[in-house]
Amino acid sequence: MLMFVVRRLGLMILTALALTFIVFFLTNLRPNLEKLARTEGSVRMSEEAVDQWIIQNGHGGSVFVRYGEWMGLMPGWVLTDEKGTVRGRCITATNTPETAPRYCGVLQGDWGFSTFFKKPVLDSLGEKLAATGWLMLAVMLVMVPASLLIGVLSGMREGSRTDRALSTFSIASTATPEYVSGVILVALLASPVVGLSPLLASWGWIEGKTLFLGTATSAIDDITFWNFTLPVMTIALYGIGYIARMTRASMTEVMTAQYIRTARLKGVSFGAVVVKHALRNALIAPFTVIMLQFPWLLNGVVIVETLFNYKGFGWTLVQAAGNNDINLLLGCSVVAVFVVLVTQLISDVGYVFLNPRIRLS
Amino acid sequence: MTKEMTAAGLHPAASMYAEELKAGKLSRREFLSRTTALGVSAVAAYGLMGMSAPARAQDAKIGGVIRCAMEVKGTKDPRLADWPQISNIYRGWLEYLIQYNADGTFEGRLLESWEANADATQYTLKVRQGVTWNNGEPFTADDVVRNFARWTDGNVEGNAMASRFPGLVDEATKTIREGAVVKVDDTTVQLNLSASDVAVVPNLADYPAAVVHSSFVDGEDPATNPIGTGPYVPQEVSVGQKAVLVRAPNHTWWGGTAPLDEIHYIDFGTDPSTMVSLAGSDEIDCNYETVGDFIEQLDALGWKKLEVVTAATIVVRMNSASSELYKDKAVRQAIQLAVDPKVVLELGYSNLGTTAENHHACPVHPEYAALPPQVIDPSKLKPALEAAGMADAELEVISLDDGWEAATTAAVVAQLKDAGANVKHTVMPGSTFWNDWQKYPFSSTTWNHRPLAVQNMSLAYTSTGSWNETGMANADFDAAMVKALSLAEADARREQMVTLQTILQDEGYIIQPYWRSLFAHVKEGFNVERHPSNEHQHYKWSVA
Repeated sequence: MLMFVVRRLGLMILTALALTFIVFFLTNLRPNLEKLARTEGSVRMSEEAVDQWIIQNGHGGSVFVRYGEWMGLMPGWVLTDEKGTVRGRCITATNTPETAPRYCGVLQGDWGFSTFFKKPVLDSLGEKLAATGWLMLAVMLVMVPASLLIGVLSGMREGSRTDRALSTFSIASTATPEYVSGVILVALLASPVVGLSPLLASWGWIEGKTLFLGTATSAIDDITFWNFTLPVMTIALYGIGYIARMTRASMTEVMTAQYIRTARLKGVSFGAVVVKHALRNALIAPFTVIMLQFPWLLNGVVIVETLFNYKGFGWTLVQAAGNNDINLLLGCSVVAVFVVLVTQLISDVGYVFLNPRIRLS
Repeated sequence: MTKEMTAAGLHPAASMYAEELKAGKLSRREFLSRTTALGVSAVAAYGLMGMSAPARAQDAKIGGVIRCAMEVKGTKDPRLADWPQISNIYRGWLEYLIQYNADGTFEGRLLESWEANADATQYTLKVRQGVTWNNGEPFTADDVVRNFARWTDGNVEGNAMASRFPGLVDEATKTIREGAVVKVDDTTVQLNLSASDVAVVPNLADYPAAVVHSSFVDGEDPATNPIGTGPYVPQEVSVGQKAVLVRAPNHTWWGGTAPLDEIHYIDFGTDPSTMVSLAGSDEIDCNYETVGDFIEQLDALGWKKLEVVTAATIVVRMNSASSELYKDKAVRQAIQLAVDPKVVLELGYSNLGTTAENHHACPVHPEYAALPPQVIDPSKLKPALEAAGMADAELEVISLDDGWEAATTAAVVAQLKDAGANVKHTVMPGSTFWNDWQKYPFSSTTWNHRPLAVQNMSLAYTSTGSWNETGMANADFDAAMVKALSLAEADARREQMVTLQTILQDEGYIIQPYWRSLFAHVKEGFNVERHPSNEHQHYKWSVA
């Protein structure tokens, strides 16, 4: 077991290295650096000024050396500009060229400075991850119970009317991508001009002009039912259908097993069979799927956070990519690798507990 | 108002304008714009009109918060600022020597007054007394001199101010010329330009020209150590999210008490449809800009529409340098006169503006001269084309692929087609369109608002203009432009403008159908102002 965890952690570090290098290489392509120079300097800069900016801000030279600087394996760049000011990777507002450390990279705990947010990457990533954490938590709280309930209900009597109805719902919801369901939900429930809200408002059923809020920007400061429902529903709807289908498949398989028939023949009531005998076995497959939802949620939030303007991790990723914020993108990549592999680790370990027949290592 | 009217300080041309105003030759707006550009204070200008200046912030209720939806871009060294949104945040604590008002006037802020000599080569700036920085230090002539040195430094990559003051710069070192900006005494600064320049005043009022304190480190974010003269300080600037301006503590602002306690800028992204749902759900009190169909939707929600006519426009122009088809002036004139600006404004821009006269000078420009109206006659196009042997030639008009630019161009194309020309509309995405925008034979280009007409005209229509996209090279036009650019007196410049506008119209290169209005919306009970250059002058805002 321990060996398994250690091997997984090793794999995680290797993946993180490979991914960050790819991201680093792509963000350091010449056109991307020029774009960075223009957003950071000024859009009106001439070609020569852009060249000079790139060199003056430590983006010149070999990409491997600069990756090493980011890692903290190479000494950070130090340059003296035409006015005689010494600038460098490790020289910040709080230290001087003399007192600045030679190395300042991830290994030294310095994740660099985000050019977009104008503050250290670690600070900005922390608060954004917390925001996305709340969103994911809300999604999980809605999605897991709802999907398991639907899956179990439709799977316990295969082919029944309940099964058909619930299956139709779950197939429809999982077949609708977030960028479609999000737009439909906003138009239907959160627009003061179209959809249900003007109707409800004219009947006097709702106080404001809309039933729900079409943006979740204010949820960063204060999460309410009003501003958080739509983004949560948009992500959850897609997942509900998917997990419900998995649970249903697993449930129908269990329900045809010999021991279920034996229990029924023994005279155990149908309810007791489902809850006591079938459920635990039927939940093994959905458990893995649910754990797989975490990395997928990290992708899902990119669309939903952008759509609803919720300033979390997904939105940060879009802004970092859109502004070619090298340090921030690298930070995001490490976080993504970490989340994917840690949830997979939990899912593998958890599997052992749910299914005694599986052994790790 | 803090300014006093001093009879001695009035420019001689000002009283002349007053006569013209009385005779009905000038509109009130033109009068204000022209006299204030000469250094006459707004109060004095209103006085010359026999009116008192409009009631101002002092009458407004003190207190309250306004939440405004606007992109929150990171604040940066003002001279590097490339978006008005950036300046609207540092405007809270950084002020300007001169301010461009929404009614077209120029008003001294950190300057009490200014004066230009007869050929616009020397400006005398009077520094306002009693202004302090929010750290307690007094604002002096030294601050003005230091900021000019910052602005003229051409060695700083992306310095937006560097090219604005060619007359103050030493070409060899690309920095300020020795003796160009002189402190005469504690309250007077003199600018000695090497050549006439009428754009000094509008350039000092443009958004990168914010005045910073001596402790400001070049290239740094002004929000980290917000020392300024203005009434507010930033409490929070979170890029992409939120910016909050609050009253500067322990600071007596020279302008009195700004009405609002706080201004919140909230970033909701760039999707204009968001604005409607935000307005519907009471998340904001005003917005930065409303565009297109959303203007009507916000009107329908009961919000107040703010409109300002600007000199921002679109020019559908022919280029004789890159195409043989448009070398013949008669052909160009016939094409120009086959297009009715009223129809283009309606179809291309939903009537959200005012019609223009094919000469790229707008009534909001101080030196605008009224020309006799043109006679639109589509029936003359076909004979003109036949006379030039172009009856079957295919005219291709290129535009962007989307938005009002495409719609406007389509409206022009449709009218040319109706008039009997063989014409085709080609659209391109923005990513490829702008690569060759100056070289297309016949295409549409958008132009931004600039306070003076000569600013755009000298860039676009002189034979050496860096943005010349027509191939127009008219010696008379060039000569008149040289003269116009040496006249600080808008009146004398206006005489040259008659020549310039007439030549430009007569050359027939451009179809310039309308001036765009800019819009924003505000909730009932809140007072904000729409500015032609998107400036937020916070001290004018209040909650009723």
